[in-house]
This record gives sequence, C-alpha cells and structure tokens, in this order.
Amino acid sequence: MAMLEVERLRKSFGGLTATNDVGFHVDQGEIVSIIGPNGAGKSTVFNLITGVYRPDAGDVRFEGTSIVGKSTNQVVDLGIARTFQNLRLFTNLTVLENVLISQHHRLRSNWLSAVFRTPSYRRQERAMREVATEKLGFFGPRLQSFRLHQPVYVLSYANRRRTEMARAMATGAKLLLLDEPSAGMNPKETSEITQIIRRMRDEGGYTIVVVEHKMNLVGEISDRVIVLDYGQKIAEGAYRDVVNDPKVIEAYLGKKAGDDKREELADG
Amino acid sequence: MARIVTPTAFDAIDPKKRVRNVALTFLAVGVGVLVLYLLEGIGSTKLVQALALLAIWGVATVSLNLINGTLGILSLGHHGFMLIGGYTTGLLMLDEAARQRILTSARSTMTEETLALSVSNLLRGFGLEALTTPETLWVRFLIAIFLGGLLAAFAGLLVGTPSLRLRGDYLAIVTFGFGEIIRLTASTRLFSAYTNGALGFPGVTSEFGKSIWWTFGALAFTVFVISKLKYSSYGRAMQAIREDEIAAQAMGVNVAYHKVLGFVISAFFAGVAGGLWVSWLGGVRLDFFLFQLTFFFLVAISAGGTGSITGVLLGTAVVVFVRQYGDPLEESYSIQTWLYIASATLALAAAGAVLFRTLRRLRPRLHWGSWVLVGGAAAAALVAAVDPAVIEGTFRGFGMRAIFLSVLLIVIMVFRPDGMLGRTEFSWSWFLREQRTGPTDEERTQDAWLSNPAFGSEAGRAAAREQELAEDDTDAPEGSDDEGRR
Repeated sequence: MAMLEVERLRKSFGGLTATNDVGFHVDQGEIVSIIGPNGAGKSTVFNLITGVYRPDAGDVRFEGTSIVGKSTNQVVDLGIARTFQNLRLFTNLTVLENVLISQHHRLRSNWLSAVFRTPSYRRQERAMREVATEKLGFFGPRLQSFRLHQPVYVLSYANRRRTEMARAMATGAKLLLLDEPSAGMNPKETSEITQIIRRMRDEGGYTIVVVEHKMNLVGEISDRVIVLDYGQKIAEGAYRDVVNDPKVIEAYLGKKAGDDKREELADG
Repeated sequence: MARIVTPTAFDAIDPKKRVRNVALTFLAVGVGVLVLYLLEGIGSTKLVQALALLAIWGVATVSLNLINGTLGILSLGHHGFMLIGGYTTGLLMLDEAARQRILTSARSTMTEETLALSVSNLLRGFGLEALTTPETLWVRFLIAIFLGGLLAAFAGLLVGTPSLRLRGDYLAIVTFGFGEIIRLTASTRLFSAYTNGALGFPGVTSEFGKSIWWTFGALAFTVFVISKLKYSSYGRAMQAIREDEIAAQAMGVNVAYHKVLGFVISAFFAGVAGGLWVSWLGGVRLDFFLFQLTFFFLVAISAGGTGSITGVLLGTAVVVFVRQYGDPLEESYSIQTWLYIASATLALAAAGAVLFRTLRRLRPRLHWGSWVLVGGAAAAALVAAVDPAVIEGTFRGFGMRAIFLSVLLIVIMVFRPDGMLGRTEFSWSWFLREQRTGPTDEERTQDAWLSNPAFGSEAGRAAAREQELAEDDTDAPEGSDDEGRR
C-alpha cells in the first residue's frame, strides 16, 4: 500500500485554480520529486497535504486514513513534516532549541510537570536532546557542539537550511516534504544536500517528497518525478523519461511557432 | 561522506559553572533576606513599603511578560485580571466593620435575596469567617490570594479562548476592551453587593500586603513558576509561536492551546498581584485598576527587556523607584536648582551607562552617548552657576515624575532598543572574568573538520581550505549579537 495517496486534489483561490485534479502516490522509502514551472501549484500541493489549506475536492490519504480537514499540527502528529521554501526558522532561538521545539508535540508531560521538572519530564527532555543532536549529526559536526547554543540569526544561509531539515526530521515524521531544499545554495552545498537527502532515506528511513528547481539535483535523487503545470499533472515517471516528454519540454520552454496549427490539423 | 560525530555538549554552560552560579544565587538571596530583615528592623517604613510594592508589581510584570515577551502577544488587559483578583482578595479579607458598611449601603439598592448571595455568605461559604485571629489570619490570606488568582485565571480562559485567534493589533484592542469591560461591569448595580459600586471599600487588612516577607514570597513563587515554564519545552513552544506562528504549527505545536495556556497562567498571577496590590493599599476602589496600571507595567517591561525575566524585574524596580521616590520632583524650586537637578541626573545617567557597559564588557566603554550626557550635565551646571538672568524665578514640577519616567524610557529605547537586558538573563559571569580569549577546543575540532573533509593529505587540506575560503559558508562571528534581530 502506498504511504501517501493524493487523489483528484482540487483547490482554487477565487478565479485561479491552483491545483486541478492532481493525483499521485508515494511509496514507503521512495524519493519523489515534484517539478514544474513557477506557479504550477507545487507549493500548493504541499500546503494541501499539510493542512494549511483545505482542498475544495479530492482526498489525501496517509497510511490508509484520510487526513483532509486535519489541522497542520495534527498532520505532524500523524507523521508528515515539511520544510519551507523561504526559511521559517525561529530566528532568535538557538539551533538546539529549534530542533527541540519540533519534538514538543511528542512530549507526554503536562505543563505542571514541566514546571516542577519531574523525573519523567527530565527523562523526556534528555531524550529530546539526544534526538536533536542525532538529527543535526546528519550534517557532520558543523551544527554540533558550540553551534547548538548559537542563535539561528548568526548562522550562514546554508546552515539555516540544514537546521530546518534537521528540525523537520526531529518531529518524528516518516514522510518529509522538502520545499526547495537547495534554494540559494552554491554548487558544493547543493551536492552536499543531494547526498544528505539520499542518506536521510537510506540511513534515516524517511520517505521524501521534494519540490525542486535544480534539475541535476532532481535527476540524482529521484526515484520518480511528477511534473505539474498550471495546476495539472502533465507527466510522471523516471527522471530520464520525464525530461524527454514533449509536454514537459513544452511547459518549460513553450511551443515552436506554428505548432498549434499542426496540432489542429492532426486533430482534425 | 563519512559520518563523524563529535562529542557534544548538551548544556550551554558547563556543569561546574552551573553549580557555582547556583551557589552564588543562593548566597545573593541569603544576603538579600538578611538585608530585608535588617531594613525591617531599622524601621524605614517608606523603604519597606516601596520594596513590598516592587515585589507586588514584579508579580504583575513578570506574569504580563509571559504573554508579551514569551508568547509575543501584546496584551493590554492585565489590569482587568488584577481587578478580579483584587476584589476577590479584598472581599475575603474584609474586617467586620467594613463588611457591615457594604451590606448597609447595598441594602438600599438590592433585594434581600440578592444580598443573601453577597459578602457575608461568601465568607461563610468558604468557612473563612472563623479565621479572624492573628494566628489564623494568614491562612485566610493565602486562601484569598489563591482564589483571586483562580478567578482571574478563569476569566483569562473565558477571554482568551475566543480572542486568541486574532493577531497583533486586533488582539491588543480586544484585550484592552476586556480589561475595561471587567472594570465597568464591576461598577454596575448587579455587583454592588460585592463591590460597593464605584466607591469600593476600605478595611482590607494591609498586614500582609505591606509585609516584605509575604510579597517577596509571592514574587519568588511567581518567578519560579514562570521562569521554569519559560525554560521548559512548553516555554520553547511559546517562544516558537512568538517567532513564527505558521512554522510553529507546521512543527506540531498546538498554537491555540499554548496561547490559551500562557494567557491563563499569566491571568492567574495577575490575580495574585491584584490581591497583593489591594492588600498593600488597604482597600479596594475601581480607580485602583485603571488602564494606567497596565501601561506602567508595559513601561517596566520595555525598559527592562521583554526577553528577560531579570530584565523585567530591573525595569520594574526603576519604575517603582521613580513612583515612590519621585515626589520631590513635583515640588517648587528655583530654576537654578532645577538646572542642578538636571545636571546631576544627566551625570548619573552617564555614570550608569559606563557602569553598565563595563559590566556587560561592551566596547568602547565610553560610548559617544555617554559623552553627550556628560556634556549636557556640564552645560546645565555651567548655566546654573554662571548666568544670573536664567536662574531667577521658581518653577513647580507638576507631573515631573511622569516626564522623568518618559525621558528615561526614551533614553533606554535609543541606546538599548531591546530594553536594558534585552534577551539575556542576568548572569554571574558578568562579574567574573569569563571573557573568551580564543576558540575553545570544540571550535578548533570543528574548524579542523570543516577545512579537512577528506581527512587527507596536507595538500588536500590546503585545497579544501582554499575552497572554503572561496565559498561563503562562514558564519557571522560570535558577538555580533544585534545582527538579524527583528
């Protein structure tokens, strides 16, 4: 059974149909990329899955149960976490605090036990710290030791991206939705992120959906690629097949002059 | 890529220093208690009362800061919650004569049935009537304060649940409105058996409110609960909501729940502060709970630093000090004297700034602003000493206290926009030479790793280093701490 099933998902904002009957599935342990030109509806799909928007029609099922209508934090409880296209870190808090906050929803102590630091709360807090350093360890020691206690605003852009990915992993999610994980990164950092995403799947056991613009990254990591254009799925398959699909080329590059006429003749 | 895990430090401070800090804190508290004891013994009533007021307002500001600083919600309704706590405590602590007076004056407007629900029965219902002897009165006081807090917390729940969906200015207006609604409702006929209308009532025992032991005890409890909460997982979640509500929700934080939780806890302590405030004043009146009160708290919070509990207490101390000891400012003096006062104030401010910068190890120690203050002080003194035309006549400083406080706030906001302590808590390391001189071992390890990803030859290391230099992967150095703040 597929881990995530998206069925005929539709959402419009006023007159604009952001996604129109988009459907796909993601299997356990897969890395699936969603690509498409600007405004194709990629981020909207993420927002629909994570409950930021409520779809007008269609269904999203995670591990067999529908998650439509659940609030964003309930979706995280179920095991889907995301990163954001334009970083949304807790800038004035430290790296460690950022990664601890995403584990807060799994805390099984009420606020009074937290205030009085009961043994059970202390145990959980220690466990949370261990998880945090483990997830930050995916990026080598660059986010370890003294960096843990630095506020995020002193970090470089790349380190902020890494922190955000660690934060998403620490939620305890099984499915990660990464919205442009390599945006604003240089080629070396991009290739590091490529390896990290692979390792997140291979060592971390995460299933990953990526929205990305950098085609070499998409080509290297994807088991499958889904192409959206104007809110519709126009292609799906292995990277090599998809990039050679005439419809995909058309969506990215447009048609040659006179193509329309030829099509009409062919239809007629 | 090889996976390298370096030994990591979970705690920002190393355990030895933490033990030392705790020891120093206990020592300071001990010395503080001793000083309070001596002060009470010497019998400077005014100072003791000012200290009691500092503790009471401290309860209010620290709790208000849980909403304003930690949750990042501008709440303007704190005086409303204080009113609920204040009236509850006031009613439960009434002496017999005052209770009879309320009942008599209420009898003219109320039916017997309504009266039956009122003060006497309230006391009887809680069994508090029995607790009137000096030996048992403190139990009654504790119960009264606690009930005041509980009622205020309940009001906080009622107010918070529907309104916390709003954001920013809209929410501020709603909380302000609720504060006023609570105050005006208390003045209506419906509640006059409890509140005696707008007149209120005297006759609340001030034995506890003016005692530094009770008030500082309450402050210690408040600071304990709120700081432990702030530095727990729940507090982190609340700060996440302050930083970015959408991201917090996307990371699984139940935003609505945590907002209401913070609001209710804050309202509880506001109720406690209200009860103490009424006990300090020795009576209840509606105009003890004007919006002005919340405004003073906000001034104290902004002056001290919204991100810091110790900062808020420092700000409260400044506001209370000006309020209690500012009355000479409102007298009539010759203009020459005024100039000398201004000169002395500016000089003190400059000295304070230098002391502060020295303690916080900010460089240069003599900020240009301090020179401006010193220049102003010198100019004022010079004019006062030299020019006979200016110094004739007298001037009465009506409202000078408020002006002084405003100027103080402006100065603080210009030089420390985040408040005196900003986001940092007071730390003993300010006094002990702990300035970093070079990178720590951990930092060296990390640098070595970053410049040596392959753990290869010297040549490879050099190449890697060059590559690192070429790329913009350098983080801002520590200490550039104002960068990137909102």
